[in-house]
Formats: sequence, C-alpha cells, structure tokens
Amino acid sequence: MNTNKEKVKKIFSQILEPFALGLLALLFIIPSITVLNLSPITKQLQKLNILGVTTENSISISLVDGKHNIFTSELLNNIDGKYEYSANISKRESDSYSKPILKIVNKNNENKTLIFYGHTASNTKSNIYIKTTDSSLKLQDDKGFTYQQEIELQPNQELVVFLSVENFSNIQFTESFSMSITEKEEL
Amino acid sequence: MSKLLRRALKISVWPAILMIAAKLLGIVIVSVVYDLQFFLENNIEGIYSVQLYYTDSATTLFVNSASNLLMLIILGVPTLYFIIKTSIYQSSLENPRTVVKITRLNILNWITKKDTTFLQIFIWSSFLTISSAIVIIHTLQGSSYQWTGIFAGVLALLTIWGTIRTFELETDNIYPRDNRYY
Repeated sequence: MNTNKEKVKKIFSQILEPFALGLLALLFIIPSITVLNLSPITKQLQKLNILGVTTENSISISLVDGKHNIFTSELLNNIDGKYEYSANISKRESDSYSKPILKIVNKNNENKTLIFYGHTASNTKSNIYIKTTDSSLKLQDDKGFTYQQEIELQPNQELVVFLSVENFSNIQFTESFSMSITEKEEL
Repeated sequence: MSKLLRRALKISVWPAILMIAAKLLGIVIVSVVYDLQFFLENNIEGIYSVQLYYTDSATTLFVNSASNLLMLIILGVPTLYFIIKTSIYQSSLENPRTVVKITRLNILNWITKKDTTFLQIFIWSSFLTISSAIVIIHTLQGSSYQWTGIFAGVLALLTIWGTIRTFELETDNIYPRDNRYY
C-alpha cells in the first residue's frame, strides 16, 4: 500500500517537475518584461509641427505626438488662428482605443472656450470621442452623425485631449480623421 | 519535484515581486513628489497592452532614471548583504580576527547561524544582473541618465564577483584546497 503511494507520489512529482522549471523561468522572464514595459515612453514636444507650437491669441495647442499602432500620421496645422488636426485611424479589431493627441494651454487671464468639430472621411460605424480627464465628448456616432463640442479652459489651465475611437465590429481599412479647433468668439 | 527546484521557486518569488514593485514605486513616488502628469494608455505593441506616457522627454528621462535607480537599490542592498554576510561567516570560521572585528561592530548575529545559502545568493544576483542589464540598455538607448548605467554596470560586476567568491567558499567546504589546509 505504502509502496503504491510512494510510486504515485514519484510519478506525480516527475510530471510536475517540467512545469516547475517553466514556472521558475517565468519568474525571471515576467519581471524583466514588466520592467521593460513599465518604462515610460518619451512623448517629445520638440517633435511638434512647428505651426502648432504657439498662437497669436495666446492659446497654445500642440501635438502630444508619440507612436501608436491605431492613430498614425498625426498633423496639426494652424491657418489664420484655426487649427486643423488630422490623423489616420488604422484598421483594427472591435474594441475601444485612445491616445493623447493635443496639449492645450490657455495663457490668457480669462476663461476661453474651444470648439471641436471632427469627422472621418467615410463612415465605418465607429463612435469617435474627444476625452479629457473629466469628460468624454462625442464627435461622431456610429451612424455617421457629427456633433460639435466645446471645452472651456480656465486661465492658465493646461489640458491634454485624448482621441478615442470605439467600434463593435472589426474595421478592415484605414480611415482618415480630421478635426477643426477654433476659439469661440465672445459676444 | 526536487528539493532544489522547490527551494529555487520559493526564493525567486521575493526578488521577482520586488523588481516590479520597485520600478512601479519609483515611477509613482517621483510623479507624486514632483507633481508630474502621466497617462496610462492602451497600446497593442509588445506583450503588454498598457503603456505609460509622459508629455515631455526630460520628464520621461528623469522618471525612468529615478525608478531604475530605486529598482537597483532595492535589489542590490539584500544581495550585497547576503554576499557580505556569507563571506564574513566563512571568514570567521577560519580567522579569529574576523570574530573580534565582528564583536566590535556588534554584528555577531551574522555569524551565529548560517541561514544564507549559495542558491539564495545566486538567485538574487541573477535578478540584480538582469535589472542592471535593463538599466544599461536604457542608458544606451538614451532613456536613462548615463550615471545610472555606470552604477548598474559596477553593481552587476560586484555582484557577479561576490557570487563567484561565495561559490568558491562553498566548494572549499566540500573539496578543501590542499595548499590552504595542509
């Protein structure tokens, strides 16, 4: 009886040994990969499109930049005080994706309101939002309807705006997204 | 499962946890102390989908260097402690002068029991060497200060040397060298 028990124990430990070796290897691999992944990525403001660095009306809008697999070819242009942001939204699986796109600084001593109006060139049944730390504003819904949105900035407030896209089915081709940003005129 | 493997698994858990925790803690502490704004984003590149962002390169460089340094210190202090403790323990067995010095320094409890094994030193050293390699890679890529890379290199060399020395001491116990003992 005892011999049988020992036999089973021996076989069990022999089966378990390769798994234990794998686990030991994982104990070394996982922390290494985690530490590499935890290292923050440089999002250089020096790489900005020069047109977007400062404005005459002392609201500064600049690209956050950085590498992203879904949001690519970002551009920010300032034409007569009106900003035009454009990016390509690559083909993707059904999910929600977001990326910080713009850094906005209100250098005025008064509140300023910015108007955002953005859409894709073709409708791919995706919801597109701009997000800040405390709000999520829809720019385009899955039926292709567009919405104009406003964000109010306090004096000297610094704000990072995220572009977020959400789709419930896989998208098989790249979309071209453009967004205009204008300052709301005081009445 | 062999006893050695079971023990190796048991010993590896702590440095593995500390390695991740130290890096994360470093990032959080620096961000909180210097009031730095950071973002967590989903990114489909790499194995993990979460990526940490800072909005300017100088901040990223500083945070990465500080967190790397904290990781090296947290892994380095116990590793060096184990190596020094084992060396002193072995030395005290052979040299009475070491015992006198230890008594003066009031660290007699270091030699009263041998609770540090070579396996423990080897595993901790391995984690420290991996961490040092990561920091050196960061330095070469320009995402960490140069002096952190130099510090990591020196620490790794010291640890490797300490581990080899501990191995020699352990093997001397099993196969004493004739010229030393006879």
